[in-house]
Amino acid sequence: MNPLENSAAPYLEVQNLVKTFGDDRAVDNISFGVPQGGFVTLLGPSGCGKTTTLMCIAGLHKLDAGEIRVGGTLYTSAARHVFLPPEQRDIGMVFQSYAIWPHMTVAENVAYPLEMRKVGRAEIDERVNQVLRLVGLGDMADKLATQLSGGQQQRAALARAIVSRPRLLLFDEPLSNLDLKLREQMRIELKRIQQEVGITSVYVTHDQSEALVMSDEIIVMSKGRIEQRGGPRDIYARPVNRYVSNFIGVANMLDGVVVRVTAPGRGEFEVTHGNARVLLPCRLGEGLGEGSSAVLSVRPEDVRATREDGGNPGFAGEVLQTIFLGNCLDCRVLWGTFEWKVLAHPRTWLRRGERVFLRLDPERSLAMKP
Amino acid sequence: MKIKAVPEKAAGSQPTRWAGLVTQENLITSFVGLMVAAAVFLPLLALIVGSFRVLDVLGFGSEWGLDNYREMARVSIIRAAFLNTFVISTGATILATLVGVSLAWLNARTNCPWRENLELLNLIPYFLSPFVGAIAWHNLASPQVGLLNNLARWLFGTTGHILDVDNIWGVIWVTAIFHAPLVYLFVVGSLRRMDPSLEDSARTTGAGLLRTTLTVTLPLVAPAILSGMIITFVTSSGEFGVPFKLGAPYGYPTFTTQIFTYAVGDDANYQMGAAMSMTLGIITALLVWVQRRIILPREYTTVTGKGFRPNIIDLGSWKWAALGYNLGYLFIAVLLPLGALFLVSLHKVWQGYLIPSQMTFANYERILFFWRPESIQPATNGIGNSFILAFSGATIAMILAIAMSYMIHRTKGFGSTMLDFLCVIPIGFPGIVLAMGVLIVYIQTPIYGTLWILLLAYITRFFPYGQRNTSSILLAISEELDQSSRMSGASWLTTLRRITIPLLKPGIFAGWVLLFIVFLRELPISIILYTAGTETLSVGIYYLQEFENESLTSTLGVIQSLALLICVYIFRRLAGREALTA
Repeated sequence: MNPLENSAAPYLEVQNLVKTFGDDRAVDNISFGVPQGGFVTLLGPSGCGKTTTLMCIAGLHKLDAGEIRVGGTLYTSAARHVFLPPEQRDIGMVFQSYAIWPHMTVAENVAYPLEMRKVGRAEIDERVNQVLRLVGLGDMADKLATQLSGGQQQRAALARAIVSRPRLLLFDEPLSNLDLKLREQMRIELKRIQQEVGITSVYVTHDQSEALVMSDEIIVMSKGRIEQRGGPRDIYARPVNRYVSNFIGVANMLDGVVVRVTAPGRGEFEVTHGNARVLLPCRLGEGLGEGSSAVLSVRPEDVRATREDGGNPGFAGEVLQTIFLGNCLDCRVLWGTFEWKVLAHPRTWLRRGERVFLRLDPERSLAMKP
Repeated sequence: MKIKAVPEKAAGSQPTRWAGLVTQENLITSFVGLMVAAAVFLPLLALIVGSFRVLDVLGFGSEWGLDNYREMARVSIIRAAFLNTFVISTGATILATLVGVSLAWLNARTNCPWRENLELLNLIPYFLSPFVGAIAWHNLASPQVGLLNNLARWLFGTTGHILDVDNIWGVIWVTAIFHAPLVYLFVVGSLRRMDPSLEDSARTTGAGLLRTTLTVTLPLVAPAILSGMIITFVTSSGEFGVPFKLGAPYGYPTFTTQIFTYAVGDDANYQMGAAMSMTLGIITALLVWVQRRIILPREYTTVTGKGFRPNIIDLGSWKWAALGYNLGYLFIAVLLPLGALFLVSLHKVWQGYLIPSQMTFANYERILFFWRPESIQPATNGIGNSFILAFSGATIAMILAIAMSYMIHRTKGFGSTMLDFLCVIPIGFPGIVLAMGVLIVYIQTPIYGTLWILLLAYITRFFPYGQRNTSSILLAISEELDQSSRMSGASWLTTLRRITIPLLKPGIFAGWVLLFIVFLRELPISIILYTAGTETLSVGIYYLQEFENESLTSTLGVIQSLALLICVYIFRRLAGREALTA
């Protein structure tokens, strides 16, 4: 296959996928593509349809409408009545419960996909050893699955998923059963191994920081639909709506009106909260013009709180609460009736009841459709 | 990187809408589903239809009508049978509940000595044959030849008798002691699984031990007790062996013994039998439905997977009284009857008292050495046939059970709900009712008069016992274990063989042995469906007590009980207590 052609068309193609359970449209007409070797994360709360989408790609669910292609091969199509059974899809999958078979040793678990592909015994042994070393279980081969810790089972499941060098790797919230420290460590490691083997991957999680750390591209889902897709930085900096902004990280959200467009994509935003009223220069999201009501989203780390008047006397508030978190100071500042979340430098010394001035960076204040 | 090519035809060809449905999984599961549905529904359908066909006076033809049901209300013996069945089931349920709940509480919640061993022993009566138990108690406490009555005459010089089990009270007594373990099973699990903090928090509010037990513990296990009571009532009303031995011959017929007289003999009237079976079946099925749909969902102490260590109450020196009580039950339910059977079996002719000089194993020789001319064929046939039936029946039933539980728990939609329902129906109908239906369906076919008809009826009636064993494990193991095998490239059948079945192994073994035990002692189905040559163990015992003497009957009873005890021991090594709850 011509590598140029390859890069032009996405390797995994999901088109107009619909999956219903009774009256519930779990996945409601979504489409996306993943380039070869790419790492895409489906992110959303439980019930948003991300796992159902994954199951449809795996062939463990039948879809009601749409098509799925991998590397140009049609895997499933509702309209054309094509359904490739899961075992013929050449996909590796890591499950939430790891699904390591308790009646087999680690090596037997990992060798299983190769046995199914009728690989010779000698080659199986060699590849199993190789992949176990890769995931850091080199000396665990003969342990029973039940003797492994959670993190080790996780590694074994990964080894089993990649040992046959499948076309596609699917991850269904693989880290959610691990404790926080281990989870943070495994994120990095999972990403390293995926990059090493270079298999196109789809990763499902509800954990936004996991998605930010690991993905080339994030697809934020809600109620069976795609809300936004883009690179991690892009999604963090330019959420398209209140839902995405809330889901990825924390944001101050203020309702108001765009009063003036100063330049393409730039404007002024008027916010009223109780007696407080302020005009803020900001970036404008798509589809906003003069007079449109909108939501202003500002990340807590993009708000500066100082004792000195920053030249905008109307924008002053009272410190309600400060929480020292080690690497930063989490403050709540009351302005009118609105409570600002502000992340300040840990060495900032703000006291409760103190009067402070808030300053925003117009480049990091984003007005978007409500 | 080498990537295994997926066949391009998937993309090229244009299969029809239905082609996608023809998979290994769908073919095999729908085949099994249809077979089981046919096996379960045909006999019931035959009963419904048959009960509305009225036999004409000459007994040659029949026509549609409600006369069977009118006849039931008119004939006084059927009215008596109905009343007797109700009295016996109620009495046995009350007695069995008192015994079962108290034993369960002593075992689960007190420091009664020797508890670990009593646990297994308390379940033994549940596995023995109540029919043999009735024979044993007849030997112990019939007015004339009862061992205990003779002992009393000899020791105290009493005249007449002090005990008499040849009446409705005897039926209640024997039914109750053999069904007490059923209530015990339901309650002991519930008591053990209870979160101790529920009681602890009651104690911290100032409630005393007695008050906590009455206001917290007992209400929490009430659904389990009620479940046990309903199932005991259903089982007692379907019980055939005990009333057949102790009730019917002494003027206390029950529904089951009446169905039996309509099913066999020269005056057989299948249509009347069907009408009576329907009546009994509808009542029992309704009760099982109530237990499953209304009481089971209200169980507060369902399995959470959490290992609770229940509060143990220190009985002080009363613990020895508790031990005595428990041993007393075991003495009455196991040791005394089996001992009496054994003593009787050693005499060539039983006259009601021991004659040490005449004790011999001759009876065992006549029953076990089937090649000898003096052997009793129906009895020796019975031993062989029962082992064949138990072995093949348990094997086939477990295969069905695996398929059924797989379909119920691993496929979604309408089909799995239907199948779940299919697995409950046989539990709702007493063996003799189902046998009556099987008889009507298959009497004209070549399988009548062979072991096949028995095998079919056994499996249809009892496969849910096996299904429960496999289902409970299937519920506990994640579906992802199967799915990851499919994703590894294994087909459905390979996944079943390499992953699902190996994981189910403990449940499969436990279910198999349980079914083996049930089939080895089965009476009500066998007695309706057997013909000369296809006798079973229990039918052999029936034959001996009808046409031979008490000693030979007891001998075969001892042999059956020993075989059952060995199986119980094996079962216990394989399975936990939970696997038993019917």
